[in-house]
Amino acid sequence: MTPSGRRYFEEIEVGEEFESPGRTVTETDIVLFAGLSGDYNVLHTDAEFMKKSIFGERIAHGLLGLAIQSGLFYRTGRVFATLAFVGLKWKFKGPIKIGDTIRLRTRVASKRETGKTDRGLVVVERTVLNQRDEVVQEGETELMVERRPA
Amino acid sequence: MTPAAAHTFFEDTKLNDLVTSPAMTVTEAHLSLYSGLTGDAAVEPGAVAELLPLCLSIGLGWRVPQPPLAVLAFMSMDWQIVRALHVGDTVYGTSRVVSRRTMREGGIVIEDHEIIDQRGETVQRGRFTFLVARRPA
Repeated sequence: MTPSGRRYFEEIEVGEEFESPGRTVTETDIVLFAGLSGDYNVLHTDAEFMKKSIFGERIAHGLLGLAIQSGLFYRTGRVFATLAFVGLKWKFKGPIKIGDTIRLRTRVASKRETGKTDRGLVVVERTVLNQRDEVVQEGETELMVERRPA
Repeated sequence: MTPAAAHTFFEDTKLNDLVTSPAMTVTEAHLSLYSGLTGDAAVEPGAVAELLPLCLSIGLGWRVPQPPLAVLAFMSMDWQIVRALHVGDTVYGTSRVVSRRTMREGGIVIEDHEIIDQRGETVQRGRFTFLVARRPA
C-alpha cells in the first residue's frame, strides 16, 4: 500500500467485488446538476412535459448517475493507487427518478501490465442498481494504477 | 396554443455535420460544486475531476445555433480521457453525427464528441448513442 493506504496494482485481485452504500437521488440533485452542467433538457427540468413522456416524470441526467456512482466508488474504503482514469464504456439502461436510491456494485474484471514498469491497467465492471435491484446503468472503467516500487 | 420549442428531430440530423460549442474556463467553483454534489473527485492528483469536463461539455452543446437534439433517451457512451485538465484551462466541445438509423420509435443517432483545450489539444473524446424523436406529424 501507499503511505496513504491506497492499494498498488499488485494488491488488487481480479474478481474482487464491492457494493457501495446507497444514495437517494433528489430533485435538488437534478436541479443543481442542471445548473452546474447547463443541461436543461426537458427530460430533467419540465415536470409537465414529462408527465406525457414514456417516463411519466422528470428523470436524472444520465451523466449525474455516472458522476454519483463515481463518487460512490470512493466509499469503498479500499481505494486504488490510481494514476489516471483512462476511459469508460457505459450503458444507460433505465431511468433514475426523483426519490430513487442507487448503489454501486463493482468487480475487478481484469488487470494487465503495460510497457511501463511503474504502472498497470485495471478494468472495473460497474453496475448501478436502484432500490428494486433494477440495473439503471452499467459499464466498465479502465484505470491506470501505480505498481509497487521495486 | 403555445408554440413548441424548436428541436432537431431525427429527420433533421445530417451525417458529418461538425458542430462547435463556445468555450468555457473550468474554475475552482465548478470543481467545488461538482464534488459537493456528486462526491466524485479527480483520480489524478491535482487534476480536475475527470468526468466534470464531460458534464460541462453537454451544457456547452446547448449553446450553439442549432436547436437541441430531440433526445428520447441517452443510450450509451464510450469515452476516453486523453489528458488531465486543471483549474484555469478553457475547453470547448465539438460533435459530429457519424451514424443514423431509423427505428420504430424514432431513430438512433451516434455522435463523435471531442473536448478541446486552449492549446487546441484534444483532452477527452468519445462516442454517444441517442434515441431521437421523429418530427411530429
